[in-house]
Amino acid sequence: MLTILEQLDKGSLWQSPGGIHPPQLKTLSNQSAISRLPLAKRFVVPVPLVGEQATLTVTVGDKVLKGQILTEGAGFTYLPVHAPTSGQIIAIKQHATNHPSSLPTLSCIIEADGQDTWCDLTPNSLNQLSKPQILDKIKQAGIAGMGGAAFPSHVKLNPASEIDLVIINGIECEPYITSDDRLMRDHSHEIMSGVGVINHLLNPQRIIIAIEDNKPEAAQAMQDALNRSDLPKGVVRVTVIPTKYPSGGEKQLIQIITGKEVPSGAIPAQLGIVVHNVGTAYAIQEAIYQGKPLIERVVTLTGEHIGQPGNYWLPIGTTVADALQSVKFIESAEQKVIVGGPMMGYALAELDVPILKGTNCLLVPSQNEIAPDVDEKACIRCGECAVACPALLLPQQLFWHAKAEEYDKAASFNLKDCIECGCCSYVCPSDIPLVEYYRVAKSALKIEAEEKRQAEQAKIRFETRLQRLEDEKNAREAKAKEAAAKRQANMKSSDKDAVAAAMARIAAKKAQVTTAPSTASSTETATQTSQAVVDPKKAAVNAAIERAKAKKAAQASAARNDTLDSTSESVIVDDKQAKIAAAVARAKAKKAAQINQTDMVPTEVEPSTDIIDDKKARVAAAVANAKAKKITKENQTDETALAPQPTAEIESTTDIEASTDPIDDKKARVAAAVAKAKAKKLAQANQTDVTILAPHPTTDIESTTDLEATTDLIDDKKARVAVAVAKAKAKKLAQANQADEADTTIESIANDSITAQHTETPPTLKHEIASGSDTRLIINDDSAAYLTPEQIKKAKVAAAVAKAKAKKLAKSAEQEEH
Amino acid sequence: MTSILIAVAVLSLLALVFGVILGFASKKFKVEGNPVIDQVEALLPQTQCGQCGYPGCRPYAEAIANGDHINKCPPGGTATMEKIAELMGVDQEPLNAEAQSSVKKVAYIREDECIGCTKCIQACPVDAILGAGKLMHTVIAKDCTGCDLCVEPCPVDCIDMIPLETTLQNWDWKLNTIPVKVIHSEQEEQAC
Repeated sequence: MLTILEQLDKGSLWQSPGGIHPPQLKTLSNQSAISRLPLAKRFVVPVPLVGEQATLTVTVGDKVLKGQILTEGAGFTYLPVHAPTSGQIIAIKQHATNHPSSLPTLSCIIEADGQDTWCDLTPNSLNQLSKPQILDKIKQAGIAGMGGAAFPSHVKLNPASEIDLVIINGIECEPYITSDDRLMRDHSHEIMSGVGVINHLLNPQRIIIAIEDNKPEAAQAMQDALNRSDLPKGVVRVTVIPTKYPSGGEKQLIQIITGKEVPSGAIPAQLGIVVHNVGTAYAIQEAIYQGKPLIERVVTLTGEHIGQPGNYWLPIGTTVADALQSVKFIESAEQKVIVGGPMMGYALAELDVPILKGTNCLLVPSQNEIAPDVDEKACIRCGECAVACPALLLPQQLFWHAKAEEYDKAASFNLKDCIECGCCSYVCPSDIPLVEYYRVAKSALKIEAEEKRQAEQAKIRFETRLQRLEDEKNAREAKAKEAAAKRQANMKSSDKDAVAAAMARIAAKKAQVTTAPSTASSTETATQTSQAVVDPKKAAVNAAIERAKAKKAAQASAARNDTLDSTSESVIVDDKQAKIAAAVARAKAKKAAQINQTDMVPTEVEPSTDIIDDKKARVAAAVANAKAKKITKENQTDETALAPQPTAEIESTTDIEASTDPIDDKKARVAAAVAKAKAKKLAQANQTDVTILAPHPTTDIESTTDLEATTDLIDDKKARVAVAVAKAKAKKLAQANQADEADTTIESIANDSITAQHTETPPTLKHEIASGSDTRLIINDDSAAYLTPEQIKKAKVAAAVAKAKAKKLAKSAEQEEH
Repeated sequence: MTSILIAVAVLSLLALVFGVILGFASKKFKVEGNPVIDQVEALLPQTQCGQCGYPGCRPYAEAIANGDHINKCPPGGTATMEKIAELMGVDQEPLNAEAQSSVKKVAYIREDECIGCTKCIQACPVDAILGAGKLMHTVIAKDCTGCDLCVEPCPVDCIDMIPLETTLQNWDWKLNTIPVKVIHSEQEEQAC
């Protein structure tokens, strides 16, 4: 028993199953040497990997040189794309590509300048480069398998396992194609040096150059080149094999040369075998020794409708239409242009598509050569196809299931091992286009598998999302529980007064909810309550406690009917309370000013809003709001109440403008709030006693200036304070509606004591306001000092002020009822 | 008398032995859950669109296993319905939803119009929308199942369902052969 190497050396051949012997028409195109066609004007270079593995290095309008790289990218199977000639990129767009579907792919359209200037090339010799460098050079040259499949060659030249046998495929079994034949005849030495590079890289035990016996000249040329080459003797041999279609198929060729069958789903490298096309060997040699990238290939232009059939060097990216034009293509209606041979090729839907790296033949047959499509007849179960099948499949069964669209059953008959060689269709007496059915079934299976994969992916993502939502929910609950526990602990640790205060607060709120007819005020209270609940900070709790204390103290003093006492006490208690008082005073002062307002105010605010940016739009909205409210209220307005204070109006208006002018857009909100408050106050004026309010213009001016000063001093956080004040006012308004006597309300606000104020006279009130605003000024300074560094605290103060007011209002309502 | 006792004893012994065997078998060969649910779920398209009225594909698979109608999955179409019918051994039913085009779609957010409300992100069952509050959102097209659930919540209607573009990768050879097949079937009918 001879070993496989001995048998290879002997030239032993094995029989491959199936196969056919179609009529050979190679002489049509293989009579003349490979020639060149005039350079086309326009090239279409598809860059399909852009967006996935690669990026473009050129843009529209760039000048490119011949051989310049157009894309860069990373990835195992990434191959760069090169400019086939020098010129300008006139477009990068979707363009129909050389594919049975003619679907558009992203392509660079290059307008040739006719110079055909090469970019800088770096020729090397094998000794200069290490193996990785050689592989990189091959990759950078963009070399893909030239036999048709266009698989990146550097991948096949860098196998994971040991390679014992390299087969150089010069079979070219398709009946029309002669590009490899002519290449071997004309460039046998170059091919042999390419084989040398492959030998250097893979270092196999044997290299077999396989050529069919219908190409004796090519075999002779290769043998001569081999004899003259410096390749080690005994390693490389030229083997001539009998002509049969499809011996050129990778798996079939391996079977013929070695007798081994490549298992289903495996690649030849697993058997220690690699197959390369002769064209690839030529391109490798060009890349290493000349530095030239793969930008042109030999294409057989053949068929009876081509005036000058033969083999031509065509730059990759030449359009089929251009190539056919230059070889005197005889155009006729319904002319088929077939890419590849008649057995495995596909007809083009349009001719403006580029020549690609795997395009070895353009066949333009006449009616005599390839009969027009005949109607398919019923399968007669003759079994010819099973005899012809080189992959030992059962074409009938596959056809049966493919036609019935039972693709999974077709798959169970090893549909994926079909090489689509077309032998079965060729021998079919019923003219059934069997390969078409298989292609449909294969693509359906491919899509089905892809959908399955996507469904699996979607399921995983869906489950992960559910898990995430669940986790988030749990985290939220845990946090809420923790906060509750903390609150509980705080409640326990502080003194009993806190509990009492909380109880009092709740009672007050309840009272307010029951008495307040306006839903707005109750909802606002509700939100405030919830805010108070949510806030977990100890500081807030303490503030509330202190506020409660202050209130209690104030009430106690009120019971004694001593108002001065209460003010002094409120100053003593702590600055929190003082702040409350200050805010109240501010509010009151402003109110007093606003009572005097006429329709002019909002219109005067508007010009200032025009100056400032888009946030101002909100101001405008607020103004509009205010106007609307005012209009409704106007019906009830007592005109005499509004008449006496023109000076106050002017001053307050200028104040508003001054506060909005500094362009700090947050301030604009303050203005808006002020405007809103004004409008509401206006409404309130209807019900209030004018005489009580009359003495206040002076305090009004002062307080407004104060407000302005504070807003100027401090940043946007302050604005919120103002907003809170405005909100509180709004609530107060609601309260006022219930109040029988307006002055009572105002005074009750000014002082925290509520009960004792019914009999107060205007002079006292005025005095109180003055004292209140004084206190506030001091407090403002204090707060400005300690708030500016810690602005978060400020926001809380504002909230506390608003809250306090709300509660106070509730109290007053209660008092009113009593 | 002894023979009766022997009979009783033998029968009791047999009962005990078989009881032990059955008890062992019930522990050893216990099947967790209903395997049909997994099989049905494997057939469903996993768009998680909720058009069946259940929150996701698995709940619907459970419902089918419990005897619900099999025609509630518009994304799966008739093909899925037929497969489920075969699996469950029930009669095929026409889809109850209006015939949905079989073209696969993906959501696309017109990014200029997006206001960053995150509503679509919350609606997406497969977390295929990327974005944050007040920032533009975008759809990760490869993970989008085309379930339409994000279209409804968008307050500015900036989400379109765009049919998936045919590329060289997902091109179906069938497209070109559709007219050919129609002719074949007509001829066969004539032949018959």
